Amino acid sequence: MHRGVRGPAAVFAALALFCAANAEAAGDVERGRAKAAQVCASCHGADGNSTMDNIPSLAGQPETFTTLQLILFRERIRLVDAMLEVSRPLTDGDVADLAVYYARLPPKPGPGARDAAKADHGAALAERLRCATCHERNYAGRDQMPRLAGQREDYLLHSMKQYRDNQRTGTDTTMQGVLYGLSDADLAAMAHYLAQLR
Amino acid sequence: MSKGIAATLVRPALGSAALMAGAALALDLSAFAQQQPPAWAQGRPQSMADSKLAPHPPRMTVTAPDKIPLDKLKVPQGFKVELWAHGMPGARMMVRGDKGTVFVGTRTINRVYAVSDKGGERTHKILIQGPTQPNGLAFRNGSLYVAAIHQVLRFDAIEDKLDSPPQPVDMTAAFQLPTEAHHGWKFLAFGPDGKLYVPIGAPCNICEASANHAQIRRYNPDGSGMEIVARGVRNSVGFDFHPETRELWFTDNGRDWQDENGPEEELNRVGQPGENFGFPYCHAMGIPDQDLKKANPCEGTTKPVVTLGPHAAALGMRFYTGQMFPAEYRGRIFVARRGSWNRTQKAGYDVLTVKVSADGKEAKIEPFLTGFLDEGANAFWGRPVDVMQMPDGALLVSDEENGAIYRISHSR
Repeated sequence: MHRGVRGPAAVFAALALFCAANAEAAGDVERGRAKAAQVCASCHGADGNSTMDNIPSLAGQPETFTTLQLILFRERIRLVDAMLEVSRPLTDGDVADLAVYYARLPPKPGPGARDAAKADHGAALAERLRCATCHERNYAGRDQMPRLAGQREDYLLHSMKQYRDNQRTGTDTTMQGVLYGLSDADLAAMAHYLAQLR
Repeated sequence: MSKGIAATLVRPALGSAALMAGAALALDLSAFAQQQPPAWAQGRPQSMADSKLAPHPPRMTVTAPDKIPLDKLKVPQGFKVELWAHGMPGARMMVRGDKGTVFVGTRTINRVYAVSDKGGERTHKILIQGPTQPNGLAFRNGSLYVAAIHQVLRFDAIEDKLDSPPQPVDMTAAFQLPTEAHHGWKFLAFGPDGKLYVPIGAPCNICEASANHAQIRRYNPDGSGMEIVARGVRNSVGFDFHPETRELWFTDNGRDWQDENGPEEELNRVGQPGENFGFPYCHAMGIPDQDLKKANPCEGTTKPVVTLGPHAAALGMRFYTGQMFPAEYRGRIFVARRGSWNRTQKAGYDVLTVKVSADGKEAKIEPFLTGFLDEGANAFWGRPVDVMQMPDGALLVSDEENGAIYRISHSR
C-alpha cells in the first residue's frame, strides 16, 4: 500500500508542534505500569505476554524499539486499526514510560509443539540472512531491533509478510530489503524457529 | 547477476524450490530476476559475518534546546554557530520560499515542516504529514514541490496558505518514478535550465540496477520530457549546479560491506548528459566491486572529482556564492556528512568545504563544522544532513538527530 497524502481531509493544516516539557525525561516504570494496565494490557496481556491471536507480546522488547513503534503508530506512519485510537493521546512521556516498563517484563514464550524440520529450515535461513547481526545471537533484539525469540508465531509470520510485501514500514527500509523475494514457506519456517526459541 | 555473486554470497540452495525467486511482487523486478541476498546484507564477506554494525535508529521525539550541546560545535576562526530553529524531529533537506519560509523535509517521520522567521526567533509548524519519506523539496513560482519516494506533489501558492495548505497537485503519474523504498527517498532541485532534477537510488546495497534505477534524471516541471543525465549512481541525496559552468555536481553514497575504509563516498561532476559514474562495477577512484566482477570494470566510467570519506554519508551540498563569508569561501562546496553506520570507527558527522581548482583536477577538503562526533568515545550526538545558503550569506545546517537547524555566520 502506498501512503499518499491522507484522505479527503488529507493535509494537516497549521498543526502546532508541541514541545513536550518532558520530551527528554527518562521513562518511569511505575507510570508505565499504570498506563499499560489502563490502555494496553487487555490486548497485550497483563504481564506483557499476549494470548490473543496475531497480537504481539511486548514483554522484553528493547526500549528503543517500543518507543519508536509507538511513535510510528501515533504519527500514523504505521497504520494498524487496533492501535490508531489508543496511540493518539500518548505523549512523548507516556511513550517513554511504556517503553521502559515493557523492556523489564520477563518474556514467556507461548505453547506449541516444535516441528524439528521446520525449525531447522528456519534456523538455516536466519543464518543465511544474517538476522542475528541486528537481532543478536539469542534473538533478544537491541536498540530499534525487536526481540524475536519466543514471540507469537502467528504475529512473526504476519509481520514478515507485511515487510516483504511493502505493507509495513520500519524506521528505515532495512526489513523490506532483507525479506524481499522470500516465499511464504520461508517466512513460516523462520517464524516457527524464532517462536520456539527459549 | 553474475555467477561471481552466487559463488561468494549465496550459500548452496537448501534444495527447496521456495528459495528460488518465486514470489511475484508488484514491484519493478528487473533487478531481482534471480535469487539475491537481501538488499541490506548483500555483499558481506565471511570475515564480516559476525559484525554488529547496523543502521542507527532515528530519534522521533522532540529534543529540547537545552539538551543540544552547542558548545561542543566548532567552526573556523571568525565564524559563529547558533541554534536557529529546533523542535522538528527528523529535520533534513531544506529549501527556501520566495517569501522567506524555510521548508524542511524528513524521512521516517513523514513530515514537511514550515519554518517562519519572525526576526529574532523562528516558529514552525507541521505543514504536511503523511507522504512516505518526503525528503525531496524544491520551490518554483510560489509552489513547493515534494518528492516522497515515487510520489511527486506540488503545493501552489503555499506561502500564502501556510495555515491551510491546499490540496496538492498530484504529478506522480506524470513522473513515473520507481516505487522501491530502499534508496528511494529523494533530493530535489531545479537546475539553471529550469528543469527538475530527481535522483533514483539503486534498491539494494550492490546489484545490477535496472534501466530505471541508479541514475539522476531531469524533467520539465510537469513531469514531461524525462532525460537521464547521469548513470551508475548508487544513491545520491544531494546536488547543486556550478555557479559559473552551470554543470551538475552531486554527492553519491558508496556501497556497504566491502571494506572498513571504503569505497569512499563520492563528489562527482556531470560533464556530459548520460555519463556513467561506475555503480555497480567501479567505485570511488577506480576500486572494482568485490562481488560484481567484470573485465575492465572502470572502462567508460567517470571518476569522482574527489572522495569524501569512508561510509561517511555525504548528503546535502551547495556551492557558496554569498558575500558574508570571506572571499576564499566563494565557489567552495559545502557538504554535510550525516555520518557512518557501516564502519566500526565512526566517520563523518560534520560539514566540510571542498575547494576545486579551476581546471577541476585538484580538490582541497577542509573541515568546517565539527563536534558532533566524539572520536575518542566513538559516539555521536548529532547528524548534519543538509546545508543551505541564506540571502544574507549565512549558512543553515540541518541536524536530523536533534530536529534542529543551526545558522553559521561570519563577522569581520
